[in-house]
Amino acid sequence: MSTVTDAMNEQERQPSGIKLTEQQLRARRARSIAIALALGAFVIVIFAVTMVKLGSGALSGDDYMRPVQTTK
Amino acid sequence: MSVTFARVEPSIAGVGDYIALMKPRVMSLVVFTALVGLMVAPGHVHPVIGFVALLCITVGAGAAGALNMWYDADIDARMVRTAARPIPRGRVTPGEAAGFGFTLATFAVVTLGLLVNVLAAALLAFTIFFYVAIYTMWLKRSTPQNIVIGGAAGALPPMIGWAAGTGSLAIEPVLLFLIIFFWTPPHFWALSLYRSEDYARAGIPMLPVVAGAAETRRQILLYTLILAPLGVAPWLLGYAGPVYGAAAALIGGVLIALALRVCREREGHRASKQLFGFSILYLFLLFAMLLIDRIPGALFGHFA
Repeated sequence: MSTVTDAMNEQERQPSGIKLTEQQLRARRARSIAIALALGAFVIVIFAVTMVKLGSGALSGDDYMRPVQTTK
Repeated sequence: MSVTFARVEPSIAGVGDYIALMKPRVMSLVVFTALVGLMVAPGHVHPVIGFVALLCITVGAGAAGALNMWYDADIDARMVRTAARPIPRGRVTPGEAAGFGFTLATFAVVTLGLLVNVLAAALLAFTIFFYVAIYTMWLKRSTPQNIVIGGAAGALPPMIGWAAGTGSLAIEPVLLFLIIFFWTPPHFWALSLYRSEDYARAGIPMLPVVAGAAETRRQILLYTLILAPLGVAPWLLGYAGPVYGAAAALIGGVLIALALRVCREREGHRASKQLFGFSILYLFLLFAMLLIDRIPGALFGHFA
């Protein structure tokens, strides 16, 4: 029992996982910012193309409200 | 049974390393030729759609570059010209480069297909496949005709640009394809003439390594003699005006003169370096003139 407790105490004292160096932290931060900017740009591209393809009046025009004609 | 895990060091790759993986100089030529393909295409493309098409083609070209560096990391490390690339320098692992390349390629092709048109996306996917699987993985290490056949990948961007603008293909983009296709061998062989030791050390069967410098010089002249008339062909076939035709004939003449000097060169590599430098300018001028030739028509057509 005491062996298990000692091992647990040892685990708590030692920092778990890999400790990143200053250079690795800086590089990771720069990569994260670049990915965020790329994703933001992708969202803007999708939004812009959606506006171009649908057109500004696509959802508010007469076509949207006009009842569908059926043949007898 | 025991399982061992290789210790993976956390990455120190910066944003610049990932940009270098995309081969920015190659990308700039790709985006320029694709822009010309898009602009000379008939009809009107909305600027936003045109921008998205060019963005996807650019990212697709970058993805192909990253996948090329992933596969070629072993030979890149043995060549002076490529030893400073991110993988041989230890900045990016091959796995990171492969993941980066595949992700970008998927995004570029799917986005181009969904937002522009399926033909352009299919051509972009084929270009990436051809460059990575056919050229990089197969031809580059197995035949001196590697850059001749592999050059098709670099020649496709104007066709993708045209397809993005029209949703179809015609003879004109095929002509643009042929110009770049026949431009590639004299361009790369001029470089390989003064880098042949580098290629030999890496075990790449470039023409000067396999067939010798004399045969390479002869082949450079042959391809240049086909290329120069092809450069004038857009005027001869009525796709461009006489100003373009005269200018294309003039720079085509300069290119042939430089190729003849390479043919006569016995010592040193001065003529080869001049031909390599001018070949880049030649292609840029040819496509820039095609673009300029179309601007008045595009402007008058737009404001008419």
